[in-house]
This record gives sequence, structure tokens and C-alpha cells, in this order.
Amino acid sequence: MKVVNTDIVIIGAGGAGLRAAIAVAEADPTLNIALVSKVYPMRSHTCAAEGGAAGVVKESDSLDYHFNDTVSGGDWLTDQDAVELFVNEIPKELTQLEHWGCPWSREDTGKVAVRPFGGMKIMRTWYAADKTGFHMLHTLFQTSLKYSSIRRFDEFYTTDLMIDDGVCRGCTAIEMRSGEMTLFLGKTVIICSGGAGRIFPFTTNGAIKTGDGMAMAYRAGVPLKDMEFVQYHPTGLPGSGILLTEGCRGEGGLLVNKDGYRYLQDYDLGPPDPWPRLKAMELGPRDRLSQAFYHEQKKGRTIPSKWGDVVHLDMRHLGEKKINERLPLVRDLSRSYVGADPVTDLVPVRPVVHYMMGGIHTDINAATPMSGLYAAGECACVSINGANRLGSNSLGELLVFGARAGRHAVEYVKTVGTLEGDARIEKQAGDAESRIKSLFKRTGGKQRVAALRRDMNMTLEEGCGIYRDENSLIDTCTRIADVRARYRDVRLEDKSNVYNTDLYQTLELGAMIEVAQTVAISALQRKESRGAHQRLDFTARDDENYLKHTMAFYNPNGDPRIDYADVTITKSQPAARVYGGAAA
Amino acid sequence: MSERQIELEVLRYRPEMDDKPFFQTYSVPCQEEWVVLDALNYVKDEMDRTLSYRWSCHMFVCGSCGMAINGEPKLACKAFLRDYQTKIRIEPLSNFPIERDLVIVQDDFIEKLESVKPYIIPKQEKPIDQGEYLQTPAQLKAYKQYSMCINCLLCYSACPQYALEEKFIGPAALALAHRYNMDSRDVGRSAREHVVASHDGIWACSFVGACSQVCPKDVDPAGAIQQVKFTSAVDYLTSFLPGGKR
Amino acid sequence: MSRKPYHREVSKTTWFLKQSRYQHYMLHEISSVFVAIYVGVLIVGLFRLAQGPEAWSGWLAAVTSPIGVIFHILVFIFSIIHTTSWFKAVPQAMRIQRGEEIVPGNLIIGAHYGVWAVVSVVVLLVAGVA
Repeated sequence: MKVVNTDIVIIGAGGAGLRAAIAVAEADPTLNIALVSKVYPMRSHTCAAEGGAAGVVKESDSLDYHFNDTVSGGDWLTDQDAVELFVNEIPKELTQLEHWGCPWSREDTGKVAVRPFGGMKIMRTWYAADKTGFHMLHTLFQTSLKYSSIRRFDEFYTTDLMIDDGVCRGCTAIEMRSGEMTLFLGKTVIICSGGAGRIFPFTTNGAIKTGDGMAMAYRAGVPLKDMEFVQYHPTGLPGSGILLTEGCRGEGGLLVNKDGYRYLQDYDLGPPDPWPRLKAMELGPRDRLSQAFYHEQKKGRTIPSKWGDVVHLDMRHLGEKKINERLPLVRDLSRSYVGADPVTDLVPVRPVVHYMMGGIHTDINAATPMSGLYAAGECACVSINGANRLGSNSLGELLVFGARAGRHAVEYVKTVGTLEGDARIEKQAGDAESRIKSLFKRTGGKQRVAALRRDMNMTLEEGCGIYRDENSLIDTCTRIADVRARYRDVRLEDKSNVYNTDLYQTLELGAMIEVAQTVAISALQRKESRGAHQRLDFTARDDENYLKHTMAFYNPNGDPRIDYADVTITKSQPAARVYGGAAA
Repeated sequence: MSERQIELEVLRYRPEMDDKPFFQTYSVPCQEEWVVLDALNYVKDEMDRTLSYRWSCHMFVCGSCGMAINGEPKLACKAFLRDYQTKIRIEPLSNFPIERDLVIVQDDFIEKLESVKPYIIPKQEKPIDQGEYLQTPAQLKAYKQYSMCINCLLCYSACPQYALEEKFIGPAALALAHRYNMDSRDVGRSAREHVVASHDGIWACSFVGACSQVCPKDVDPAGAIQQVKFTSAVDYLTSFLPGGKR
Repeated sequence: MSRKPYHREVSKTTWFLKQSRYQHYMLHEISSVFVAIYVGVLIVGLFRLAQGPEAWSGWLAAVTSPIGVIFHILVFIFSIIHTTSWFKAVPQAMRIQRGEEIVPGNLIIGAHYGVWAVVSVVVLLVAGVA
């Protein structure tokens, strides 16, 4: 087995991973960084983020406003110390990115421009047309090339964390083009591997978003936090699930039902002003908008289409010039995929799985409970998003907590000195390699990857959607457990070494099943409705019993063990979430 | 939704079994609104687990799924079946070694990308607490088009110059250098010049223009290269004037 | 080591036959040869003119002979090809930005055709043809 000796191993080279790597390189250029990713950095899913990143920068805004929007947007399940730190640091991070060359859209004066976003009291979302994530990712990637201490290992699929005496020391990864197992041995690991939207069948997430890092940490004993909170984005293209940014509505796009009626006014989000009123109507939070779709559908007021029921996103009044300038990708995607030009046509949309609020449990320094292990970005749960993330807080999160993970990992490395136990880790790595080899050797496996994946997808869609109840969740948990059991008999059909995508899809499926199980069990046990977790049988929020973070612990032979942790509340006591005219 | 039977002729190459690539045909029941990538995913899931290709976002932005479709470099997620006949031929992007099936080796491109110093080289570092650099919409416009590159490599695959001279820095990397040269926050043009304005840089381009024709993001690398040629030529000539660098 | 990347060879002599856009490119490049030859012919004409009336009328007879006329038609066609294909590419090389707007390519191409027409008329006037 090849061994790469390094100081800090970063798994994942998307926004958070790159930001962490740069933070390490700047904090201590003498430390060696191994940046390990299953794709080339610019393929990472950060590139698909469209709308923008929120950060207080304008005179009329304040850190308190951003704090309050985020905490209430998360239905008070956010940790308020983390949110306070986040809103404080994000303007600096966004400015830093500006210095590194990010092509932020500008005002005539040359200052960065901001646009309105859902659930935000003030316009504070920095954007680069409707390709913000793309530009941020490429800016970070290109900037990372300046630092010689960052050594990239592109297209290495990480299989296991290496843990010695409770301390995380590295990982094993397969070089995808050769099939060769490599041991990355260092002093600390930062996981920045992204979310797991692919556990659902209908998602904005790319093929690579399979929760590998979440599952890896989880299997190693680190709890996954608040996994029941899955964000549905209200405006995805039907059929493909392609995202149409909240920026569409930020720029003035309207949502209408089959009667051309702005139905959001029926769901405590009115009044239906003709101008975009902040925190109201189309600029309400994502959970509320997706839930409103569900009710419209029940009332028979959605529009049937060949891809299922939809509502219409009306951007026609914005005009061609504004659409081309602010929403060019949205126009390109709508025309290509559903044949609707936003300039002249209504665009069919429906809610689609978009983001995991939950993830690897970390503190505000991005440290997990395991020594030497950090996590940042969508794979982590700090938690600044609580029960519902506000649009444009995730790009900020990956910068703030990616950078913090990097800096704190550097501090940690300074304290640990020389570590013993390399031989034990090499043995562990050997075990990891044997597990992969056993997949190759297995004969007579009956379970097909595609069939298992489909079963898992459909089960979650049916039982863990926008609305859930006891029966559907119990059914989902049973079926997921069944899928998990069947996975033990999975059949690897391609036994070659070079770029064996059958192997990686098989391993990804294994990760997804673990993550899916934590989503279902966590949802079953939370008997209340909060943010993105809506129960038809427990319709109210229950602060007495459930103002707590769900912690799912790995259990190799059965359902995850569920525990709860306190939510940090500093200055905002739980109250009713108010949107629409009443929020003014 | 209407269904259509499509014959996919896919170039296969499994280095551990094959000495050279061969075509394998899959007859795929496709939905009318599918893209070629959907058809490949169908093959992967239902017909042949051994077929390998790269893909992720399915929305023209991650740049993973570049391949030659009926000989033309395309993103498989942007190649709609409605635009094709019943038979579609799929090959890995040309001008790159084939790692396996539709997966190409792209190390050469990554090295070239790194060689052009694609990052802001500022006149002097500005402290973060002094806020952003001012950049007017017009200054943004000057380089914005060249910042749209998704590194999908369709341009390298279309470029006959790159096919004949592998040392050529190539369209995407040169366009990216131009993007930073044109950025009002950057003063790094001279630092990039020895790579960009070299024999293997812009001067290896003979302006076939195929790169710009296949670019899925309208970056126009060919235009960028010609513009750099112009400024470099002016630099060269002015270097002979009194006070010039020569 | 399981890797064995496969290199596809590209023919150094026939690569341009593979795609129509390469053929167009070659046509554009070859057209310049005809333009160059014609420049040569004109220079020879100038040389002949300097040598005296006899030399000049010999040259004149050559260029107006049937072969000379065919040659002129050929050169004319290739000159048109050369010019139009260049004009088509000009907006890429000559990107003009005014404020936030990029001057549309068609305008730049149109301006080139305009100048071409004006210069042609002037030349014809000077030559006394028109």
C-alpha cells in the first residue's frame, strides 16, 4: 500500500475543503496538506449554488438583523453562539473572497451589490449573477494554486478514517485511476465532503452528493446531528430536479397556481404586494414555501404536467435585460430542460430536495467530539441552520467554518507533537483494504446496486418528504433497515481496477444507506413539527420536549441509537416565526 | 411521456482486458426529453455496470461529462436526444489519452491551468478591514466572459493545434490567464507573460476558432487568445521605444 | 500497475479532413496563397512597367489572355473567401467595450464591409473605371 505522510488531511475539495486548505497554508506554511477528493476540485457541488451568500455589508443592515433572521429561520434550533460568530465573520470572508478575485456583481459605484433572499429582513445577499457558487469555487480553487504546501490528490475515493486510541490520524483512499489503496497518514483530518441529497430520488444535488464523509465519521462513532431536517427548495425544475435559484424570486419572480393566483398569501405569508416585500410571500423561508405547495396540491390547485404536479414561476415582468444580466443560467436551464423561456413563458417548478441541515456534529470551532477530527460545510452541523436553513447562508457557512476548521486544525497539530502508533494505523489500513478486496472476491451476491438505490430513494420520498407521520415513518424505517440488510449481499459486477465506477457507486450506496437510516429514525423520534420537519400527527412545535438536537449514533447491527443534546440559546428566546405583513 | 428506442454506440476501452478501444452498441429505451447522459445512466443502471464515465451536476456547470457525441465535443447533460437521430455515437473527448471507456486523462490540462498563475496578483495586499476593491460594472464586464470557463475541456478536444502540438497551453488556460489580466484588481500580466506569450502559448494558436464554437459557456477562448496576441505584440514593439524594457 | 492509457494518434497530414470546421479553416488559409500569388503578379507588372512600353504590353497581354482571365476569376473568388472569413472573425479579436456594453459583432463586421466598399469605389475611381 502506498503511504502519504502529511500533517493535515482534508477530505473533499469543494468550497469548504479548499477554504480550509488555504486557511492552513496561510496559518502555517510549513505544514503539509493532503487535499483528497473523489473529483477534481472544480467538479465539486459548490459549483451548482446559484443565488448568493449573505453577509452584512450595507449601512442599513446590522449583525443583529442577520442573527435574528437566521435564528428564527431555523425555528430556534440553531446554536446561537455559532450564529453570532457566523454573522460576525461572514462579511470578512466574503471580502476576502473579493480580494482573491471573485467576480461579485457590482453597484455603479463599484461596491458589491446585494439582492434580497428568502427569510431575510434586509437585502444582504452578495451574488455573482446566478452562478455564485461556481465563481466562489473556481476562485478558491485557483487561489489555492498559489500555495505550495497544498498537495492535491484528485480522484481519490476515501473509504475509512484511521483512528488510533480515539484520535483521528488520517484516512485510506483508493486512487480511482489505478485502483490502488493509499494511506494518508497525518495528525488530523478535516472532512469537507458535502451533503447527501442523493439519498432522495428527486434532488438538486449532483451525483457525487452521497454522504460519504458523513457516513465515514458516523461509522467511526461520531454522531450525526439533526438529520431529520432535510430542506426542500421550492423551485426546482420538474423532471430533472434542476435548481432555479431563490434569486429568481429575489429579483421579483412570482409563484402562482393553476388560477394564476399568488397562493402564498393563503399561508400566512401575505400581503401580496406587487413589489418584492422582504420576508413575505415569495421571499418567505424555503420550508414554508415548500409546505404551501403540498397544501395547494392537496387542494387540487396545482397544475398537472407530464412530470407531475407543478406551480408556475412567473418572471416575465422582469424583462429580458434583467433576466440576462441577473439570471442567465436560469434562462438557459429553463429553455433547455422544460422548453420555457422566463422572458416570455411561465416556468413550471416544484419543491425538490436541496440541502441537509443535519450532519457531523461539531462545535463552533468545527471540531467533532473525536480528537483530531474536524468537519465543515454541508457535511457538518454546527448548527447555524437549525431546523431550516435560510437561502444564501450555506455558501457563507462553508467559508466561515471551512476557514475555522483549517485554523483550529493548525492549533491542534501544534499541541499534539509526535504521535506514536503508525504501525497500528498501517494495520487498520490493511483491514480497510481487505474489506474492499472482499467485495471483489464475493461471488453470488444477489443484490443489484441500482435496485437497492431505487428502493432507498423511493422509501425516503414516500415516508420522509415535506410532511411525515408515524405510520409512514415506521414503514420507512423498516424498509431502510431491509435495504441495509440486503446491501450486505450486494453484487460488484465490475472487478477491474482502473476507474471502476461500479465499485465507487457501490461504496457510495453503502454510505447513503447509513445516512438515510439516520434521517428516517431521527424523524420518527422527533414527535413535533419544526422548520423542515413537519409531522401530520404532531403539528405543533414542542419546545418543552424537543428544543434539542437529535444525535444519531452508529450501531453496526441495528437502528442507530438516538440521543439528544441541548441547543445553545444566548439572546433570542424561542418565539413564533412570523413572516408576511406581520413581520414588518 | 413518449418513449424512443435509441442505439448508443459507445467506445469502450478496458485497459486490463483490451489492447485497443472498440464500439459496443446498447439499445436503450429513452424518454423523449432525456439528454445523452440520462441514456448512459440507464445503461449503467440497467444494462452494463462496467461502463465508466464521469458526471455529476446534470446542469451544465460542473464540467465533468464532456464527451464526443457524433464526433462533436459536447456536455452529455446538454446533448438533448430530441436533437439526434436514432443512432448516437459516443466517444471519449479526442486529443486526450483514454483512461478507460469515456474517461480521459486530464493531467496535462491541470498542469497547464496551474502554469498560467490563474489568481489575482495584486499591486499590494489590502487589509480585509478596509473592505472590498471597488470595481465598476464596466470593469467587471471587461473580464466576466472569460471567468465563465467550467474546465470541461471541450475546447481542447476541438483544437487541432493541441492535437498536433501537445505542448500548446491551450484555449481554456489561456482564456483564464486573459481573465486575470483583464481584472482591474490584478497587475500580474508580466508575471504570466513568459508562459502565456510564449511559443507554446498564444503564438501556437493559428485561430482555427473551433474552441469558441464548441464552448458550452460562450467563453470565446479564441477571441481571448487573439486579444492577448495583440497586447503582447504591442508590448514587444513598444519595448524598442526609448524607455522600453529591451 | 493496472493503468494503460490509450493514445489515439492524430494524422499530421490529414487531420483537417475530419471536420467541416477544420476544412473551412484550411480553405481560409489556402486562400491566402492565392492572394499572395496575385500580389506577386502585380509586382511583376510594376517591374514590367518600369522596363518600358513593350514589356508592359507583354504583361498586359498575359493577364488578359484566357488563362490570365481564369486566373483572375480564381484569385477573385479566393480573395472574397479570404476577406469574408477574416471579417467574420474580427469581432473576436477586436472586442470593443463602451461602458458596460460590448459593441455588437455585427456592427464591427458591418463597419469592415463598409470600409471595404468605400475603398473599392475609391480605387475604381482612381483607376478611371467608374
